Amino acid sequence: MIPGIGVLTQNTLWCFSQMKGAIETGVTEADIISTVEFNHTGELLATGDKGGRVVIFQREQESKNQVHRRGEYNVYSTFQSHEPEFDYLKSLEIEEKINKIRWLPQQNAAYFLLSTNDKTVKLWKVSERDKRPEGYNLKDEEGRLRDPATITTLRVPVLRPMDLMVEATPRRVFANAHTYHINSISVNSDYETYMSADDLRINLWNFEITNQSFNIVDIKPANMEELTEVITAAEFHPHHCNTFVYSSSKGTIRLCDMRASALCDRHTKFFEEPEDPSNRSFFSEIISSISDVKFSHSGRYIMTRDYLTVKVWDLNMENRPIETYQVHDYLRSKLCSLYENDCIFDKFECVWNGSDSVIMTGSYNNFFRMFDRNTKRDVTLEASRENSKPRAILKPRKVCVGGKRRKDEISVDSLDFSKKILHTAWHPSENIIAVAATNNLYIFQDKVN
Amino acid sequence: MEWASEPGEEGPKPGLNPPLRAAREGAPGRMEFKLEAHRIVSISLGKIYNSRVQRGGIKLHKNLLVSLVLRSARQVYLSDPCPGLYLAGPSGTPMALPQLPGEPAAGPAAGWGEPAPPAVPAAWQETQPHPERSAVPDAQRAVDAEPAAPGIDAGDAVLGGQAAAGPAWRLMEGPREAAAGGPGNPAGASEVFPEVARAASHHCGRPPGGEDQPGALGATPRGDCCCAKEEAPAPPPIGPRKRGAAGAGGVGGPAGCPAPSSTPLKKPRRDLEEPSSGAAAEEEEEMETGNVANLISIFGSSFSGLLRKSPGGGREEADGEENGPEAAEPGQICCDKPVLRDMNPWSTAIVAF
Repeated sequence: MIPGIGVLTQNTLWCFSQMKGAIETGVTEADIISTVEFNHTGELLATGDKGGRVVIFQREQESKNQVHRRGEYNVYSTFQSHEPEFDYLKSLEIEEKINKIRWLPQQNAAYFLLSTNDKTVKLWKVSERDKRPEGYNLKDEEGRLRDPATITTLRVPVLRPMDLMVEATPRRVFANAHTYHINSISVNSDYETYMSADDLRINLWNFEITNQSFNIVDIKPANMEELTEVITAAEFHPHHCNTFVYSSSKGTIRLCDMRASALCDRHTKFFEEPEDPSNRSFFSEIISSISDVKFSHSGRYIMTRDYLTVKVWDLNMENRPIETYQVHDYLRSKLCSLYENDCIFDKFECVWNGSDSVIMTGSYNNFFRMFDRNTKRDVTLEASRENSKPRAILKPRKVCVGGKRRKDEISVDSLDFSKKILHTAWHPSENIIAVAATNNLYIFQDKVN
Repeated sequence: MEWASEPGEEGPKPGLNPPLRAAREGAPGRMEFKLEAHRIVSISLGKIYNSRVQRGGIKLHKNLLVSLVLRSARQVYLSDPCPGLYLAGPSGTPMALPQLPGEPAAGPAAGWGEPAPPAVPAAWQETQPHPERSAVPDAQRAVDAEPAAPGIDAGDAVLGGQAAAGPAWRLMEGPREAAAGGPGNPAGASEVFPEVARAASHHCGRPPGGEDQPGALGATPRGDCCCAKEEAPAPPPIGPRKRGAAGAGGVGGPAGCPAPSSTPLKKPRRDLEEPSSGAAAEEEEEMETGNVANLISIFGSSFSGLLRKSPGGGREEADGEENGPEAAEPGQICCDKPVLRDMNPWSTAIVAF
């Protein structure tokens, strides 16, 4: 834990920094952001949307003249990653929605990221071009071929500066390996392999090989009628390239070691909390389904998100989480309505801050919540256009559950369930967060004193 | 939503309201559970149906969760039958429900209305669909036989499945006729049932002396499901089955609903597993009739792990707010009519899918 960096204390105030996206009231479905991810240095911020596009923002260099203004994120590159496809064999349309983006650590001047839709993973190379060669012998400046008879001298082409151009090219396409819908991808710490997980299987890929993958987890029963659970998320350990975890729809997490066997159907560790019988309802199974699992940066803990809570587990203790945080427990009595309007199926993600001291996750009404693991304090903030003045300090919000509603509180029944924050990201080392609210991306920073 | 019964479409059924009110006075908590469970089942079926037309194909995870809810709700609905729901009066005579015209398919649907004694579900595993089912030519019938499938235990499944095969169909109609004459002939009905009750392997709806259905599970606890006693298990099996026979079974509604919509649930998984089988019409038909057999077992053996986990799972449903509309319209419990009305489009949709 790095003291002083990324610690949510009572002195931390979050300010609005930027908002990206259209402001008009009507939301095009294709513009809905479906994933947000900082790269390993925090210099780049990538978003994927339902229309299959990836937009990368780059943080501008902090200028000495404006020390009080941290670097802003500006659009760096936009490209169409996936297109809608049609599986003719099964008469199924494959959505172009980007489910996940994961960055590779930077190893040269170019940036690499993985993006995936339901069926296909692609490796994209994002590189800059700021010079171009000029002075060819056989071509003129417009590229037309010159008549060799007219060439009397030879010259060496030289590179001359040009306007910066950022180009994204698909370097690898990893296709046809998943029968079910891909929900997760995770880059291994060896930087040579990565895994992709769908509802029933997890495959291990080598970045260089696109026509083969290893199947490392397969929970498909011989008889599909006996299906009881599906894989909901998977991630590699941040340091141990042989270890990964995957979560299930039953609220369990399995940790697997690839050294144990080629097919990791048998887990090494099994994390499950016994169910509280007093909370049993029709929807107990749905709300216990884990929607996201994330290793802490230290690799010692995992965090899971189910519908109503966030839990932190110690890898060394399998029988219960070490911490449980209620995100929006006031929804527990509304589960039937939420089932009706499909909100109960929303898959919220959760993130750690750089020092693993604070965790963040989203909720409804464009609220998002942060929990400080050390002080046990929590705060509810809102991503809204009303709070979108530069460096405006975010005011903590409160949901009123009972009878009397105080002035600034909002009652449960007034919550807007169409405004949900499913995807958030935290800068790897600073207190900068990116929050996706439908089609808008909000960037908040802590107040620089 | 096509599954929710519309009060405006038909008048309240004469036989239903009085007993329902009686039941409400007697056991309001249970009734609310059942109404809630019924509503949840309707919603769940709607979701499964709609998932077929969603972009991106069937989402396995979501459909799995919906089916879990469906299971829980169905278990609540059927595990502790309210006498008031099915009884006409103290005699325990099954109510005569008006026979809704144009619903011959209601026959087999009646079978599964019987609540299963909890011990029976294990018997599901052994019951396999009979080969003869695959020869069912009538898609409509096949689909209609499906409501019989989720009838909780193997006996029902066998009967339901065999309803598709033909002979059991007629047998099912037997008790319906008896029920039609029920109000005027309570003694007769009671006579029928105790006799039937003695044949342990008999479905309680079979006429006395009816032969053993081949493959019917022997020694099922169904023997005591006949209405010889006034206890909860006894009359309800008769009642709901008749309601099912009449096509207006409240129990028949929700339990019947899963069946046709389980077809698409089953189908997508089969589709995913057998990509090559979706193409030819022949194969589709095969798949569909195969699905009938599958459906019969699907609600017994499928997700059996979940069943064992919490048979009484839905009891502590705390939601009270949803009971409002239901409470106001007791007649809505019978949703069979809208369900059955959709059967034809269902079977068409199934074939197309």
